[in-house]
Amino acid sequence: MSDARPPVRDQRPPMRMREKLILRVVSKALIPFILLFALYVQFHGDFGPGGGFQAGVIFAAGLVLYGVIFGLSSLEHVISPRLVEIGVALGVLLFGGVGVACLVLGAGQEGVGNFLDYNVLSSHGGEGVDAHGQHLGILLVELGVGITVASSMLGIFYMFAGRSRPEDDS
Amino acid sequence: MTTLELIAAALLCLGTFFCLVGGVGIHRMPDFYTRTHAASITDTLGAGLMLIGLMFLCEGQHWTVPVKLGMVLVFVLLTSPTSGHALVKAAAAEGVRWVTEPSPESSPDMEDSEEEA
Amino acid sequence: MPIELILFLLLFATAVVIARLKDLFAAAMLTGIFSLVSAGLFTLMDAVDVAFTEAAVGAGISTILMLGTLSMTTRNEDQQPFRWLPLLVVLITGAVLITGTLDMPAYGDFQAPAHQHELYAGFIETTKEEIGHIPNIVTVILGSFRGYDTLGETTVIFTAAVGVFLLLGHRMKRRQDPASDAQPDEPSEAGGES
Repeated sequence: MSDARPPVRDQRPPMRMREKLILRVVSKALIPFILLFALYVQFHGDFGPGGGFQAGVIFAAGLVLYGVIFGLSSLEHVISPRLVEIGVALGVLLFGGVGVACLVLGAGQEGVGNFLDYNVLSSHGGEGVDAHGQHLGILLVELGVGITVASSMLGIFYMFAGRSRPEDDS
Repeated sequence: MTTLELIAAALLCLGTFFCLVGGVGIHRMPDFYTRTHAASITDTLGAGLMLIGLMFLCEGQHWTVPVKLGMVLVFVLLTSPTSGHALVKAAAAEGVRWVTEPSPESSPDMEDSEEEA
Repeated sequence: MPIELILFLLLFATAVVIARLKDLFAAAMLTGIFSLVSAGLFTLMDAVDVAFTEAAVGAGISTILMLGTLSMTTRNEDQQPFRWLPLLVVLITGAVLITGTLDMPAYGDFQAPAHQHELYAGFIETTKEEIGHIPNIVTVILGSFRGYDTLGETTVIFTAAVGVFLLLGHRMKRRQDPASDAQPDEPSEAGGES
């Protein structure tokens, strides 16, 4: 950069809520469906395209839309930054927890079971490949992935939106 | 071709025509607001007519397929005009100028000097 | 075939324009269009899961985050002087890569080594016979057969988020001033308009 001049943001005040009537009404109508679609993609990932990554991103996008239209403080009321920090770690914990549970549940004569071996998760007993155990394992694992991805995207948005005033830099 | 296929073909061709109209309009329109109007024609008429045309092609498929297409149509018709509206509103608040009247020679591809509104 | 050619040309044109633009806002928007066209190409290649993820991440969240970054910095890139060495490096690397792809088997070829390997057949047969509940083989491979890789990916996303929190997080406590976002109206106006 040649100049040391800080970037100038436009001097007008941000748009008041009254001026955003159409945006408010349409987003109020659509955001529940966006979040519902994210849950659909999450749990329907076994039967069609979908799964944890896509669902987490769509969920975060719905919440980001809410934050852009209604203000960042309203969004922080709904999902506090503390919850986002917890969520980021909770998903990985869930994933690893399923693996450790497979270790514990598979303990037999040979010692502990295998990490992320879903066959031991079902109550039918774990010989060979067990469909119920696999289904449960995949469901929990994708849920963990979805939680982490949604919280990460929302958390990064919080970080960026929270410092949109460049002249505040010390 | 059956009647349904003919209707679907006609609607798809019409939708493509409107997408082309939108594309030409983005090039030829003089300022930002009219260009946004041309782009929104692509979103609503173009995509809408194509989706309606596709709904007629669902012979022998599960009944959820035209229902899903209809829901996509409703979603597109709800969100595209809103995004166009948001774009134009932001531009008006930013102070993007517009062309108030055509020049007396009324040649369509002459860039007028913008007049302050 | 023709529609894939058109989409690839569109991809190429978008990439050239992104590299040449000085207006970063327009470049961020075009990056979203790039991701969307890539998602269309993936759908044409029958990789619907990948297309879904590309559309959601590239055309959705990534554009928002890039615009958020742009709000913190300047909108126009400074004019860079033209230099020969980077262009030469890029051209040589591109030529080497294209020469490498001439050896690859045709798209969808049954005799390709990736399709003939017994692991590929093993995945498909195991999924069909034994994990009978789950039709989507991509989810089965991601979640069950290659579960370690998915654990690693999730940890990478977690680490990236933690990195962003550490680098930018100290601003969160200071952001208490009410004038920094769109403020809700006073109660009298909000009550009057409903």
